[in-house]
Amino acid sequence: MTKRLLMLIAGAAVLAGAAVAQEPIRLGAMYPLTGGGAIYGVPAMAGHQLAIEEINKRGGVMGRKLESIERDDKMNPSTASATMKELITKDNVHLVVGGLSSAVGLGMSEVSKQEKIVYISTIAKTIQMTTSKLHPHVFRTASNTDLEGDTMAMLVGKYHLKKLCHLQLDYAYGQDLEIGVVKALPIRAPDAKIVLTLKPKLGATDFNAFIPQVMAAGCDGVVSGLWGPHFVSWVKQASPLGFFDKIKWISGGEIAAHEIAGELKGEYPDNVISNTYELWYHSIDPLHKTFQEALAKKLGTNETPQWAMLGYNGVMFAAAAIEKAKSLDSDKIAAALEGLTVNTPVGKLTIDPKTHQANTGQFWGPMVKKPGKDYRVMEPVEFIQPKS
Amino acid sequence: MPSRNLGIAAIVIVLALALLPLSGSRYALDLSTQVLIYCLFALSLNVLIGYIGNVSFGHAAYFAIGGYSCVILLTTYQWPLMLALPAAIVVSGLAAAAIGYFCVRLTEIYFAMLTLAFAMLVWGVAFKWKDVTGGDDGFTGVLMPKLLEDHANFFWFTLVSVSVGVALLWMICHSAFGLTLVAIRENAVRAGFVGVDTRKMRWAAFTVAGTFAGLAGALFGMYNRGMYIENAFWTESAQVLIMVLLGGIHSFIGPLIGAAVLYLLQIVTNQYTPYWPTVLGTILLIVVLVLPDGLTGLAKRFRIFSGS
Repeated sequence: MTKRLLMLIAGAAVLAGAAVAQEPIRLGAMYPLTGGGAIYGVPAMAGHQLAIEEINKRGGVMGRKLESIERDDKMNPSTASATMKELITKDNVHLVVGGLSSAVGLGMSEVSKQEKIVYISTIAKTIQMTTSKLHPHVFRTASNTDLEGDTMAMLVGKYHLKKLCHLQLDYAYGQDLEIGVVKALPIRAPDAKIVLTLKPKLGATDFNAFIPQVMAAGCDGVVSGLWGPHFVSWVKQASPLGFFDKIKWISGGEIAAHEIAGELKGEYPDNVISNTYELWYHSIDPLHKTFQEALAKKLGTNETPQWAMLGYNGVMFAAAAIEKAKSLDSDKIAAALEGLTVNTPVGKLTIDPKTHQANTGQFWGPMVKKPGKDYRVMEPVEFIQPKS
Repeated sequence: MPSRNLGIAAIVIVLALALLPLSGSRYALDLSTQVLIYCLFALSLNVLIGYIGNVSFGHAAYFAIGGYSCVILLTTYQWPLMLALPAAIVVSGLAAAAIGYFCVRLTEIYFAMLTLAFAMLVWGVAFKWKDVTGGDDGFTGVLMPKLLEDHANFFWFTLVSVSVGVALLWMICHSAFGLTLVAIRENAVRAGFVGVDTRKMRWAAFTVAGTFAGLAGALFGMYNRGMYIENAFWTESAQVLIMVLLGGIHSFIGPLIGAAVLYLLQIVTNQYTPYWPTVLGTILLIVVLVLPDGLTGLAKRFRIFSGS
């Protein structure tokens, strides 16, 4: 009787142990899913989910499934901080990925610092995150404003531009990118001079006050950080005036993404040289094809958005780090992330152990017309990646 | 309810809450801390809405001023909390007095619009004064006193601060001053005729409301370990206004209930769907159409209906 009871208890203990081992690894994900940021946040979340599905299909991490707990960050740093705290204290997530705007990224980084939970920032580019506000638990798989500014300055040199007009949005990203460009210009393009700097507001739709000023300044080039809808509005208002005829528009903010090319179609102007993280029609790594096909299936369109890969890569880094750390301890995951190399759809990426910044490259190039296509494509494509 | 029973009920609630850290749940603790802060914030606004009948659309300004002052004094100037917190309360009180000086010259919708305008001005200052406030990057990396870094300790600290705040507001609202405010709400002209300086009284009420909002903001800044310009945006003012309406403006405890219910509802909703604004809109619709006295009004009606 006693023996049987003991066996029963032992059996139960084994079962309980197995149940503990089966418990999934919880990943918190936060992107803007409503409001103005949703056009980027929703595709990023789709990429995030794709990575989770792929990893679980091949057996998860350390034999455990990944569970993704997804929340709307509302592009509001205060809400995002509270939500992230909730993910950590209520849902007991082991790691957090996401954040889109620079302010949200910094807010989430702050929570990560307090709670000592690893945060992988997948989109926010503000340089402060990996410099003045760096701490042991924050990592970035997105590019940053210094890299972007440096490449823009390099392109200014490449196209021998002399007189520059500088356009940046008046908020965190624009201010940091401005610093990045101004810092790199004397090195990359010593002949170039900024003759006019204008700072439209974030979310501005009317650029009629700015366009004539730039045209009157006689610049041969514009360096710009007007992303997404800002660029679209600028084009619609400036193109009819012949703005893009004699000017090179060198821009950060991923306006070479197919989302923008597909939206503007025939209205996409000449002389634009810009960047994007990913191009659905251009592969530089065998992994890209499988990624893009899976994403196309998930989203129901072949012309997939570039933001998805950022969400995807964040999960891939998280999973690889946990696998390498063989532990869910935050300090061990953080240690594993330092110097970690992961295969992504744009090749191998490595996180710098000192700055916690991945050497994420971007595709840069002019946007040109192609026969038979109603949208512009980047050609020639150049993948510019910082040295790791 | 006689005030003695209410006092006993309040003490019981505070004592019960004080035991919360024993539950061992960090989440419950964090959530309660936030709810307490919003309760005080909503209650401070009701001094204007419920007692004097002036709707402010810019109450988040004083919350933000209190919050920013506290975290900046703690971090940039490394003041001890004993000085930084009172200073933050004084700063928000002074700001409310300065802004209120102009606002109380107007009434009704003009008053509401002016409070909104000033609040957006505060938001603009927080946005543009990047060196001090961190602009739209937010002010992060707050230096906290060692003792309050512990979550249970901070919860107790918040509980004590909010309780003191609520008790003081109770005394203010039920003093001769509070009754004068009600008189102004009921009939400003008549109150003027019996010798009340209505403008001065409204100014005083505005300052009181801003001061306590400042305390709530300071607690929030410390809890959040940061302040963001969104905390001063008009949506924040709208949210606290809805809290007050939901709870019921004609009852002292209404805003407390409204703040707790709305905040918890928001947290729960966000765990299932990102469409909180839809839920909020529906709540507002219901409050306006069927619950003009809010939840406390509903409870009162229910009591009358059931005949007890």
